[in-house]
Amino acid sequence: MAELELHNQNLMPKLIDYLSSLLQRVAEANDINVRFQPQKISVFHGLTRPNISIQSYLERIFKYANCSPCCFVVAYVYLDRFTQCQPSLPINSFNIHRLLITSVMIAAKFMDDMYYNNAYYAKVGGISTTEMNFLEVDFLFGLGFHLNVTPTTFQTYCAYLQKEMLLLQPVVVPPINFEDSSLLIGSRSPKLQYICYNEDESSSQQQQQQLVV
Amino acid sequence: MEKYEKLEKVGEGTYGKVYRAKDKATGQLVALKKTRLEMDEEGIPPTALREISLLKMLSHSLYIVRLLCVEHIDKNGKPFLYLVFEYLDTDLKKFIDSHRKGPNARPLPPSLIQSFLYQLCKGVAHCHSHGVLHRDLKPQNLLVDKEKGILKIADLGLGRAFTVPMKSYTHEIVTLWYRAPEVLLGSTHYSTAVDMWSVGCIFAEMVRRQALFPGDSEFQQLLYIFRLVGTPTDKQWPGVTSLRDWHVYPQWEPQNLASAVPALGPDGVDLLANMLKFNPADRISAKAALDHPYFDSLDKSQF
Repeated sequence: MAELELHNQNLMPKLIDYLSSLLQRVAEANDINVRFQPQKISVFHGLTRPNISIQSYLERIFKYANCSPCCFVVAYVYLDRFTQCQPSLPINSFNIHRLLITSVMIAAKFMDDMYYNNAYYAKVGGISTTEMNFLEVDFLFGLGFHLNVTPTTFQTYCAYLQKEMLLLQPVVVPPINFEDSSLLIGSRSPKLQYICYNEDESSSQQQQQQLVV
Repeated sequence: MEKYEKLEKVGEGTYGKVYRAKDKATGQLVALKKTRLEMDEEGIPPTALREISLLKMLSHSLYIVRLLCVEHIDKNGKPFLYLVFEYLDTDLKKFIDSHRKGPNARPLPPSLIQSFLYQLCKGVAHCHSHGVLHRDLKPQNLLVDKEKGILKIADLGLGRAFTVPMKSYTHEIVTLWYRAPEVLLGSTHYSTAVDMWSVGCIFAEMVRRQALFPGDSEFQQLLYIFRLVGTPTDKQWPGVTSLRDWHVYPQWEPQNLASAVPALGPDGVDLLANMLKFNPADRISAKAALDHPYFDSLDKSQF
């Protein structure tokens, strides 16, 4: 439904890089905290720490989900809200993968007119469809169904991410542009960046490698 | 859902059944909307996602039906979502019907029309200020508390008019009567003005006790509109003749709007005329409508 207009093709990889390193820092910090304060075990908590790095996992989601780029910003907003709503469930190395695949999937469902179904996201995320469905319900209730992201909020998060990315990199990061009204619910952007499940599914799945999280 | 005692089924929409129920602890009446979750490859339908989140965001307004909570229940291994709404005893359609026919047939008191319209504009302004278009405003979707004179917007796509009994859905669900001309003409860019057209139609219907433009096809609907408001020209509505579904229509001159709503005073007619402007850009906004002289005689302190 909404779209980030990417003036520069390199912006998304940089955003993915930045989000990965940010989430990794958060997860590692909380991994240490867990020794001092007990944390609740949720459905998002894997039995073991997944082998795939946060960076590779997010790149994989970006590669196969084909959702509009703004979904990654919105997913980040959701993760932020989720951790605020659920202070006893901080992001850590055991749950970040499941939180990521779920938040991107819900962002795509909420924002985009065309999106892959849960079964597809389950394959991308290396979990079963049943688990994906349970994660979806728990994430939604954990968020209190607070899914709407106003243009102002979106802009604020974009500005924040951009500033942080600038600090990390000496090169100038191109501005993230988006249509003012494109985040409004019910608006129909003529420049939808969508994928069609039936057409793209088979080819994407062939390229996909097995992944178990 | 042991918390609630189901009293009766009051409706059935595409999403599932709606019950009138009682909160066992508090005695509060609620409307329970039961949605079966197909835990298959699709997961939770995106329509449900959007609509619950919209209701969560909007329903703190007095003029939007309150979503009290959402519950996820597993019943015999089958998952359901229950939406728990506050219960209102009737809707504007039934309310108008009760004034049109039967033993109590009489016009709606002008002060009540004024108050209902003000509450409706308040609710619509609230939706619009949150970037939400309702897109399906009609009397069936406006819940009414007869005793307190309260009107609330319901059914942001998900709910249906959940106090309306099942039978009346089938033909009314496809009603075109409140649809803005730009939508009927196939415009791809909707704006908040589509809701204001519906508000105008509802306003007139409260006064007339019958629909203003009761078309039964999109073409007929346009003819009803043009016959009263005149056939639009490119001059008054730039671009109208290039809209997707524009055809050559008979050229009607605008009629005197007051003749369609004889019981309404000049301020009311002026407000109605501003809600029924062809060009969406010229149509009055919900926020501006609240300041219209028609509401000058209303005690706004109660809202």
